[in-house]
Amino acid sequence: MPAAKSTRGDIAIVGYAQTPSLRDANPSEVQLLVPTVTAAIEMAGIGRREIGFTCAGSCDYLTGGPFAFVSNLEAAGAWPPISESHVEADGAWAMYEAWMRLQEGDIDIALAFGSGKSSPSNPAEVWAQQLDPYYLAPLGVDPVSLAGIQARALLDSGKATEEDFARAVVNSRRNAASNPNAQLRDADASVEALMAQPYFRAPLRKHDCPPISDGAVAVVMARGDRARELCARPAWIRGMDHRIEAHQPGVRDLTSSPSTALAARKAGYDGGPLDVVELCGTFSPQELILLDALGLSLDGDTKVNPSGGALAGNPIMAVGLVRIAEAAARIIDGSANRALAHATGGPLLQQNLVCLLEGE
Amino acid sequence: MTETKLEFPYSRTLGPVVGAFLAGLREGKLYGIRGADGRVLTPPLEYDPETGESLGTDMVPVGPGGTVVAWTWVEHPAPKHPLSRPFSFALVKPDGADTPMVAPVDAGSIEKMSTGMKVRPRFKPEPHGLITDLEAWEPV
Amino acid sequence: MTDTAKEHMVMEHLVTLTYHERLTENLNRYADNLLEGRIIGAKCPSCGRVFVPSKGYCSLCVVPTTEADELELPDTGIVTGFTIIAPVNYYGQKKTEPFVYASVLLDGADTTLGGMDITGVAHSDLRSGMRVKAKWKPRGERSVEAMSNRGWGGFGDVVESFEATGEPDADEEAFKEHLF
Repeated sequence: MPAAKSTRGDIAIVGYAQTPSLRDANPSEVQLLVPTVTAAIEMAGIGRREIGFTCAGSCDYLTGGPFAFVSNLEAAGAWPPISESHVEADGAWAMYEAWMRLQEGDIDIALAFGSGKSSPSNPAEVWAQQLDPYYLAPLGVDPVSLAGIQARALLDSGKATEEDFARAVVNSRRNAASNPNAQLRDADASVEALMAQPYFRAPLRKHDCPPISDGAVAVVMARGDRARELCARPAWIRGMDHRIEAHQPGVRDLTSSPSTALAARKAGYDGGPLDVVELCGTFSPQELILLDALGLSLDGDTKVNPSGGALAGNPIMAVGLVRIAEAAARIIDGSANRALAHATGGPLLQQNLVCLLEGE
Repeated sequence: MTETKLEFPYSRTLGPVVGAFLAGLREGKLYGIRGADGRVLTPPLEYDPETGESLGTDMVPVGPGGTVVAWTWVEHPAPKHPLSRPFSFALVKPDGADTPMVAPVDAGSIEKMSTGMKVRPRFKPEPHGLITDLEAWEPV
Repeated sequence: MTDTAKEHMVMEHLVTLTYHERLTENLNRYADNLLEGRIIGAKCPSCGRVFVPSKGYCSLCVVPTTEADELELPDTGIVTGFTIIAPVNYYGQKKTEPFVYASVLLDGADTTLGGMDITGVAHSDLRSGMRVKAKWKPRGERSVEAMSNRGWGGFGDVVESFEATGEPDADEEAFKEHLF
């Protein structure tokens, strides 16, 4: 295939790496990134200086220092100067920018990474700051409380039951049992045992919420023939798209995710068979909402969150790109041929990104 | 263990829409604004959430009563939460409004909470010009 | 529109975020040594550059550094860049008199310590290249509580200042790579 310009469907993931999702990692965020970025580059089998563009995703509020993201760049090897960018968002959005940059056609390899340590902060306090500063942030309304409101709306709509929430958690815990990078693993998880747990933020129980996690992830993408040289079975990115909804929770239907459905369509997902879907539903009701938006279910032919998903490990700012890396891993190892990965940002699935991956 | 404390002291100018709403709270009044499709949006927004068009500055009085549309229960309030005893974070739709607002409901116990319950606002005796001047909604 | 008094058109909102964490292993060793009056850095096993404090990796070679790469440095060095800050009474500023904010390159190090006070010299006589030596606080008064994993290093509160030694200034070659 000639290395033509506008190679939208001709870009593939050829290397990836992640840290385990940890409750409290002692190394600094950059120290988590250094071996992770290096491992992704080594898997791709390239030299560091072959990377034509680098994009990183992180959150200075989470790290707790202005310009913290500048330090993270050191994990890429930024001297002599490299072409790079940063998004104050999940690494999935960094990958989106790097994927766009590759489509210009003048470079063959790009690196994206995402990182975050939630353990030093009180995430409930930090994430109140992503909300509208007039009507919401001063209320101190935290992600778990907002997710509780959403969960109630979903129950009241009749679209799901508390048992359905637990089913999503059981799927996560059991799948995570075979994922060494997952934080919460339980091969014996059962709906009955979970339903016996007390409410944490009713109607949510603690297991319906994500753990507090530290972690990092990196992905190497290559274009066209270069991708084929570097990887026996590249994970081709057939499409990637992200869409956003209104910010105020009160003006949205919290029980559906039209932005996910639209992003999936724009990414080229036609509703056809998928081997794997990796969703970034950080609360169990959100996983159900996302599945519904994609026309999928926990009981269908598509394997849902084989890694355990965000409920099994939630390194914020990395967790979305981890979903893409997990989906890509299954294409590259041949266990899947078509996979869809999802990342989210903002309160209550406000913004959603979908990446459609295929083998040859 | 190290401790790092970051403080961001913001003085935010409010503009004619948010400013009018928060000023209303000082007087114990609630306002919405008419969206592009005629819906009354509360709290009032400057731009239509669907179309993005400017919604002007004409306030529509709403309330004082309201209805709980969705809710969660906070058994152990955190220091940054608006109430220090167990309460509900809820979506409350003021009478006359078409969209609900995120707000605390001070019901005392989870048993008193239900979707569709009627509530009335309780305002702080000494307003600070913040959304929290609407201290909480209470069961009617 | 509803009449809104001008004084009600501004909202005061103080956001406070608190972070608690253990120092990284490399910073923890650095802090322990500072309390003992010793300054340690880490020498990159690849390029040989010496980082003070250790970041746990070399930011140029992107290779990790470990305890085995750490070495003690003298408490003498030179001023690279500096400024005299006339404090403005902004939120959180505790200083009231003009103060020095200097970067110090320790002898044998390849990275500077930032935000150091320089004493023993009039503000008007401060120069890049000036030789300085740490004036340690008495052992019992040294503190590393202000150190954290974030930002660009830090020196805790273990010295009063770096004091001018009166030795001849270093040549520009010694510090020109370390000026902002």
